[in-house]
Amino acid sequence: MSRVRLLERDEAPVHARSIYAADGSASPLKRSLANAPDLLETLLPFLGQIFDEGAVDLPTKELVVVRVSQLNACRYCLAAHRPLALELGTPAEHIAVACNELPASSLPAREGAILEWVDRYVADPHSIDDDLVARLLDHVRDDQLIELSLLIGATQLLNQYCTAFQVPPPN
Amino acid sequence: MRDALENAVAEGRCGNRLWLYATYHCNLACVYCLTESRPGIANRRALGREIMVRAATDARDLGFTCLGVTGGEIFMLQDAAETIAELGGILPTVVLTNGTLFTERILTRLEPLAGSVVALQISLDSPEASHNDALRGPENFARVATAVPALLERGIRVRIATTVEDQTEDELSRLCELHRSWGISDDDHLVRSVVRRGRAALEDMGVEPGPMDILPELTLTADGAFLHPFAPTVRHGVTDLDLLVSRQINPLEAAVSRFLRVVADQPVGTDVARNIR
Ligand code: SF4
Repeated sequence: MSRVRLLERDEAPVHARSIYAADGSASPLKRSLANAPDLLETLLPFLGQIFDEGAVDLPTKELVVVRVSQLNACRYCLAAHRPLALELGTPAEHIAVACNELPASSLPAREGAILEWVDRYVADPHSIDDDLVARLLDHVRDDQLIELSLLIGATQLLNQYCTAFQVPPPN
Repeated sequence: MRDALENAVAEGRCGNRLWLYATYHCNLACVYCLTESRPGIANRRALGREIMVRAATDARDLGFTCLGVTGGEIFMLQDAAETIAELGGILPTVVLTNGTLFTERILTRLEPLAGSVVALQISLDSPEASHNDALRGPENFARVATAVPALLERGIRVRIATTVEDQTEDELSRLCELHRSWGISDDDHLVRSVVRRGRAALEDMGVEPGPMDILPELTLTADGAFLHPFAPTVRHGVTDLDLLVSRQINPLEAAVSRFLRVVADQPVGTDVARNIR
């Protein structure tokens, strides 16, 4: 049971109506955020830029989102992003590693380094050492690492929000 | 911002009045109440004097030319008389009240309003005590009929507001005779339909407002800024958000800017029929 109202389109504030599809549908997350329409003006474009394809490809980004959500045990984001990751081309075995269903040793070096970055970034950024950074930079540019790191932060934000407010996972 | 607001007002897209919902608490529980106000309400949503005064000052600076105070019943608040006087010192103010809480002590505290730009708008729905009281609660008619002359005697401007549901023409014209007998002109008698929102919607009463029926007038409540004073209604204890324009009310400029974006879609011209006032 959501701890915040999930507004239908006709209940939503004027400035929030544009986040609903033409048929009036919107994800439970968006329907909850409609309660704070002023924030949507900057939040949605911000999240859009962070989650959409940028300097980093979408399969990699979705792998990161799934891993962060797994670490935070976010039911909503796992339900939303696990199928999305598959749809966007993230290999099923990589997703299985991110969800602790296969050992990390089965990942290619690039994805292994990225998930190690994710794990340390979420658990304790102090634990990140120069060796890990150097291994990462063998596979991604520094701007791509920045983009992935901001993606981790944005995913944490949504994981915490969805978990605290018990936003029901999308069907 | 000031120019944009003045242009929108001049074009008939919105009104020049800022409304303030002082509180959702009330000593009555009228059947058609938009805000489900009643005695002992848990979530009173009071704005507070400081916020109301700041909003009024900001409103004057941004080009609003008058204020309206509504609720709930403002005289449920301890400092109502002083707050009203302070608001009236900033802009001409109309205060909506049910007129049932005017004890001698409150009447004395309201004396500074004599001859001022503040008007108290008192609800009265019928010249027949029984019909009026069926809509507005026991003893309502008697209390209003005592309060109105007492306020007028003190030189305080009084308007009468009538909410029409099932009153007959004859009943309404006798109500006009009554307010005229008190010395209140027809210009100071406002008649409007019950709006089908809040408790009225649950009671299956009133008229459903069309999108153009109500002139947009920025309305502040503890829940945020709304499109007009019939917007921040309550159903089953929860505020309707469909006509919320901003959660931010302080500083007022943020709410005004979002309000102007909504009213930009309103038709231009003063001949647009606004059926609910
Ligand atoms: S309609 Fe006015 S007087 Fe009646 S309960 Fe609501 S706020 Fe109180």
